Amino acid sequence: MSASADAAHGHHYTTTGLDNRKIAIWAFIGSECMLFASLISTYLIYKGKSLVGPFPHTPWTDPSSGKVFPAILNIPVTSASTFVLLMSSLAMVLALSAVENRGKPLPPGAGAWDKALTSSKLWLWMTCLLGAGFLAFQAYEFTSFVHEGLTIRRNLFGSSFFTLTGFHGAHVTAGVIWLGSLLAIDYKRGLQPSDALAVDLAALYWHFVDVVWIAIFTLLYLIPG
Amino acid sequence: MATVAASPTYTASATPQRSRLMSWLTTTDHKVIGTLYLHTSLFFFVLGGLEALLIRWQLMRPNSVVLTADQYNQLFTMHGTTMVFLAIMPLSAAFFNYLIPLQIGARDVAFPRLNAFSYWIFLLGGVFITLPIFFWVAPDGGWFGYAPLSGRTYSPGPNMDFWVLGLQILGISSLAASFNFATTIINMRAPGMNLMRMPMFTWMSFVTQFLIILSFPVITIALVFLQFDRFFGTTFYQISAGADPLLWQHLFWIFGHPEVYILILPAFGLVSEVLPTNSRKPLFGYPVMAYSGILIGFLGFGVWAHHMFAVGMGPIADTVFGLTTMLIAIPTGVKIFNWIFTMWGGSIRFTAAMKFAIALIAMFVIGGISGITHASPPSDLQQTDTYYIVAHFHYVLFGGAILGIFAGIYHYFPKMYGRTMNETLGTWHFWLNFIAMNLTFFPMHFAGMLGMPRRIYTYDAGQGWELFNMMSTMGAFLLAPATLIFIYNFFRSKKHGEPCGPNPWDAPTLEWSIPSPPPEYNFAKIPMVTSRYPLWDLTHPERTAEIPHTQTGWTEATQQTGEHDMAPMHIETETRTAKELGIPMPSSTIKPFFVALGIVLMFSGLLFLPKGMKVPAFALMFGGTAMWVGYLYAWLTTPLEDHH
Amino acid sequence: MVIAVTLLVLAACSGGDYPNSTFLPTTDNNRDATDLWNRMMFWGTIVFVIVEAILLYTIIKYRRRPGGPEPEHVHGNTLMEITWTLAPALILVFIAVPTVRTIFRSQAAAPANAVQIEVIGHQWWWEFRYPEYGFTTANEIYMPHGRPVNFALRTADVLHSFWIPALAGKRDLISNRTNYLWFTPDSTGEAAFNGSCNEYCGASHANMKFRAFTVSAEDFDTWARHQAANAIFPPPVDTAAAPATVRPASNAIGMAQAVPAAQAAPTTVQAPTTPWQFPREKVPPHVLPQTPIPASVSIADAAIAAGDAQRGFTTYSRSACIGCHKIRGNPSSMGILGPDLTHVGSRFTIASGLFPNDAKHLAHWIKNARAMKPGSLMQTLGKGEHDPIMNITVQAGGLTDEQIADITAYLLSLK
Repeated sequence: MSASADAAHGHHYTTTGLDNRKIAIWAFIGSECMLFASLISTYLIYKGKSLVGPFPHTPWTDPSSGKVFPAILNIPVTSASTFVLLMSSLAMVLALSAVENRGKPLPPGAGAWDKALTSSKLWLWMTCLLGAGFLAFQAYEFTSFVHEGLTIRRNLFGSSFFTLTGFHGAHVTAGVIWLGSLLAIDYKRGLQPSDALAVDLAALYWHFVDVVWIAIFTLLYLIPG
Repeated sequence: MATVAASPTYTASATPQRSRLMSWLTTTDHKVIGTLYLHTSLFFFVLGGLEALLIRWQLMRPNSVVLTADQYNQLFTMHGTTMVFLAIMPLSAAFFNYLIPLQIGARDVAFPRLNAFSYWIFLLGGVFITLPIFFWVAPDGGWFGYAPLSGRTYSPGPNMDFWVLGLQILGISSLAASFNFATTIINMRAPGMNLMRMPMFTWMSFVTQFLIILSFPVITIALVFLQFDRFFGTTFYQISAGADPLLWQHLFWIFGHPEVYILILPAFGLVSEVLPTNSRKPLFGYPVMAYSGILIGFLGFGVWAHHMFAVGMGPIADTVFGLTTMLIAIPTGVKIFNWIFTMWGGSIRFTAAMKFAIALIAMFVIGGISGITHASPPSDLQQTDTYYIVAHFHYVLFGGAILGIFAGIYHYFPKMYGRTMNETLGTWHFWLNFIAMNLTFFPMHFAGMLGMPRRIYTYDAGQGWELFNMMSTMGAFLLAPATLIFIYNFFRSKKHGEPCGPNPWDAPTLEWSIPSPPPEYNFAKIPMVTSRYPLWDLTHPERTAEIPHTQTGWTEATQQTGEHDMAPMHIETETRTAKELGIPMPSSTIKPFFVALGIVLMFSGLLFLPKGMKVPAFALMFGGTAMWVGYLYAWLTTPLEDHH
Repeated sequence: MVIAVTLLVLAACSGGDYPNSTFLPTTDNNRDATDLWNRMMFWGTIVFVIVEAILLYTIIKYRRRPGGPEPEHVHGNTLMEITWTLAPALILVFIAVPTVRTIFRSQAAAPANAVQIEVIGHQWWWEFRYPEYGFTTANEIYMPHGRPVNFALRTADVLHSFWIPALAGKRDLISNRTNYLWFTPDSTGEAAFNGSCNEYCGASHANMKFRAFTVSAEDFDTWARHQAANAIFPPPVDTAAAPATVRPASNAIGMAQAVPAAQAAPTTVQAPTTPWQFPREKVPPHVLPQTPIPASVSIADAAIAAGDAQRGFTTYSRSACIGCHKIRGNPSSMGILGPDLTHVGSRFTIASGLFPNDAKHLAHWIKNARAMKPGSLMQTLGKGEHDPIMNITVQAGGLTDEQIADITAYLLSLK
């Protein structure tokens, strides 16, 4: 438990018994909620207000050229990327659990799966890779949108869409770097139960970014124009 | 009075070899950072005041040509921006830094290096946004930066680039500091210091941190949109793309109204310390004071659109926001009465701090009443964007925040420097300031109701405004000597003030139980807090007899750390250094400074983009990014404390 | 004391010394706002007096005296605290109820018989359209006394705010939106008011002013019908040499006599209209600007006096002016960026209420508008003049003082 880990250091009395960083990350996440709330609200306020296409859910014909721009959002692809990100949260849970339980003897008759569950490296790798996979989906989505004529300058939809999802992508990127650094520590000296807090902080952040994506996916992609 | 000159040898010996500048650049001591904040923000306060003097000089007479329209527009924009972001907020931050750990019985803030970072990025951001005024290329779109005027189409120059980037930089500072102080208050209170025993300043600061945490991300996003529009051609505020300019206004005021409480609540907290101490009575209605602060903060998020009654939101929105705004009068009124009844029946000692605190009550009432008159939308439509509003919020921000901060400075100066400020000069400062502020701001009510708009660099003769403008200008030029007296007193008293002991005012809270100035570790032994007024429990038990006393938290705390580090409530007399006592202290480090510098350089690069100067732009952006990422890595991989 | 001063000054506010006072009972809108204000001041004064009196009493009575007793240590009183929570709440009810009533009344749809006026804000002047009469004018509004006026507010660029303090509360002009403001000037009589922009809109925000006139229904009709008519040039014979100031309405001559003589002048026959403007002798001094002319712009009085309207017409019709300005009746002048100048001679002010409309000011304005009004979008036109925005000196194509005087004479003839 993290509290006993603190006590081992001897001099950090805290009021709640929790580590300062744990409190701070919650404060940070509270702040991030308002950040994404502002971004998502802006997207919703500007929904349907763009003067020119392409549009998210409906095709648009350019009156000057007669060119038809199909509805831009690709729900199946994004559903896949959403699934990938959700799975990364699962991997994150397993990674944290592996770190917390490091050193505990396996029950008799433990199989390969039980063994795999104890590998923090495996699950951190999985989280990182799934996160990177999500980013790859996003990179694909962004490039295909640009090819279809939607840029960040094109219309209100383009500006608010790319900024919102771009901010989320930047958060995922930061998370992958964070997890990568934990992985580096794991390779260097092995993450111990006393490091559980460090992993826990990254996990909280990661789950938060994940939850935000659920909100974005629902509000942007699933609710039609 | 027998004064005890608590010799501050320990602070000197902590950094013996380093130069003054180096010790500042590398400090992680919340007290040093607090005084750095104090001096920096006083500097910006004077600068903002000089900007105001130029404004008033121009407006002294009709059709005046002291300043050009451009210069005036830059000055009024920078006066607002400076006073809000570079003077009042960081003056409050100075007190957060200095006082919160002392008031809750902690040895430092939760994240000392992050604290240093907050200061440095504030200073560099302040320089970034202020420097252009010396070349007349300062921001000129108002402190509120309404779109589309603030966009590239209507503000093509670099002026608003400085504003949008500068505010982003300053936002980083405020957010980092707010996470730090929120964590500190939640998690670093001495045993027995439960929430309902926290000093009222810490309480109000606590509420303020949540306001910052929840409101600053909103302005960050509003600014991101503006930044993207200006630099990358997005369409958020692009009228030709069908954008709605009210998006900016809503985002800005969802931040902007809580910001008003961010400015005022710390000052409320400060006078809530000054009034009981100088009345020899506990704060009247402590729980209600705490709850009303929370309520003000909470309601503060639900009233933003009262800044927008003229934009045509429709009768329903006008009604809702009008009524919620009126509601805020209730908790504010409660505070006023509780302060007065704190003094009622007391034994009032008129120190300079006390005079300012009492003046805050008197002046804030005026700002509150005029505030009600524009909570009523039909009435507000005759007031908004006129000098009446200027009068109103100067009674709130000068008559409230600044008077409260002056009270705080006179009151806490002895704690910071071990010497009291000169009371005679303080009295002169007070009366001159009090007369001058009323002479400056009261006539503005009349100018506004007689039809004078805000933000005009000139006005015609014969409109009935000459007298009031002349009075305001006279008042403003009287505020200058008042402030000079204060500045002189401040710097003179640091060296030549009357030396004082740990508790010159006979105050009741923890910060007064330790020497003045406090040793680097603050508390040699963490005290066990027994009530809201732990020091009076020791020295004047009769004053706190009615207040519940318990020993909660003691056992848990000692279980965590061992009793050797804690002691029952006591007056600290320890004079040994942290090293001698074996108290681990955060080591000095320059890394936060370079992280801050790197971020500011990164933002500066953007300035060159609109001019097509890609080489310096990318050099600064990549160089800055490399700097802050590198130093951040070094920071995160270095332990906080030296292992000795 | 503060209250006494307040009351004193408020009493003075209705007087003539304060022409832009918001407390004048001129319209339904303003009476409602003043009524709310009075209620709030009533309660506000009571609260102010009570609070400050208790405060003063407390600090005098309980000041520390040598040897004084140790105070009694109350730490709260629930009953008192409930009292001063509920008392303000009760007062707020007395303010909130009429507030809500007034909100819904003033923001209801305008009465059907209202005069429609479209307001379009520009950096830094006002365009006014009267759709029912089919004309556009600038910087001066006429309203019939006693009839509701409904303003539809839009902006061509940044945000502005439309305010005539003596008549009604303001309303913002928001890009991509139309706002409405209506009121009934039923207690003004024949009167003139100042209006201003109240939302900061850039360099010359302070110089974005306008004038509003309430006149009798008949006079309004005369004015509007004439404004709707095309400009006639040259004007009737005996007005050609008229002084550069606007002549009193009593001297007006029926336009039926006007025979268009110039080659390019319109030949359209139109219904006779009479030029009419608010009687000059009744214009209060605060409506006439006193802005000084900047020292950097000068043009000799003699040169201005020598201006010839006929030459001016020709010069104007070939100059840069026509790129931005419209004069209905002058087919070469079809610009839409600047104020409509069809009847510019009938206005009291130029440059959005910044200068009086006379030959001297108009000539200076044409010579170097940007030196006269910071940030003005109207270019510096005088030859050899310095354009402070482009930072160049106007050379080829610039207007000579003679040409400027001629154009001035032409424009002022457009009654």
